[in-house]
Amino acid sequence: MGSIISDLNKIFDSRIRLGIMSILSVNEFADFNTMKDLLDITDGNLASHLKTLENIDYIQSKKQFIGRKPNTSYEITELGKNCFKEHLNALEKLIG
Amino acid sequence: MNKETEDIKVIREMMEKSSKFFSLNGLSLVFAGIIACTGAAFEHFYRLKTVSMIYYFYPQNIIVIADAFVIFLLAVGVITWFCWRKSKKNYLPLFNNVTRNAAYSLLIPLITGGVLAVIFLIRNAAGMTAPITLIFYGLALLNASKYTFKEIHYLGICEIIVGLLAAIFIYHGLLFWTIGFGILHIIFGFFMYFKHDR
Repeated sequence: MGSIISDLNKIFDSRIRLGIMSILSVNEFADFNTMKDLLDITDGNLASHLKTLENIDYIQSKKQFIGRKPNTSYEITELGKNCFKEHLNALEKLIG
Repeated sequence: MNKETEDIKVIREMMEKSSKFFSLNGLSLVFAGIIACTGAAFEHFYRLKTVSMIYYFYPQNIIVIADAFVIFLLAVGVITWFCWRKSKKNYLPLFNNVTRNAAYSLLIPLITGGVLAVIFLIRNAAGMTAPITLIFYGLALLNASKYTFKEIHYLGICEIIVGLLAAIFIYHGLLFWTIGFGILHIIFGFFMYFKHDR
């Protein structure tokens, strides 16, 4: 039992981080505002969770300009993809 | 419900919401179908009156093309307007990555079919208009259906079948055109409305 619990990634204890990873795992990339709308949270809240995920290299950001507006989009890294997959497997084991 | 089950629910919801477009309203398809039937009726009575040689490219066929084009614009307009209303109600943007990808997948086969139909018309093969528009419309729906409700996938397959039938019974193009763009939209539209919108 102990080994199963340790497979669950502590980073994904937060529903918002879980949501971010879910969005980025099925989309090539997603920009800040799209994620904000989907998760229905404030700018500051989303930014801090994105920062956490970026710091551990689960996601990476790309800044660009659309016209004159700065736009930040995010994509999942190989590491993030693998860790998220492991987390999903662990969840599945716990339920199934 | 325990935390793990709730987590899985959040994951699934976010994956679906971020990759699929659910603002499509069943009723808008019904209206589009009615518009198509009206256009087909206009075309039918116009032909009776003018005894148009539909299999040759006579100037009066301009009316037919204009009729088809107006129907197309009206139908797209109605569907877009309903989508816009529903996405506004759900606080979702009408134009995002998903709708852009969906529109791209839809438009490439659709425009190809439209251009091909016009080429056939110019080459005096107006009888090919119904099968070509129906088949390419079906392929377009099939291609875009991965971004929205599953029903669109089946609607696409039905359109392709009706299109192939129209190619076999080439003298009844208008009838198959009415079935494909009118009746099928009305049936699928009501089905989707009762399944998803109520």
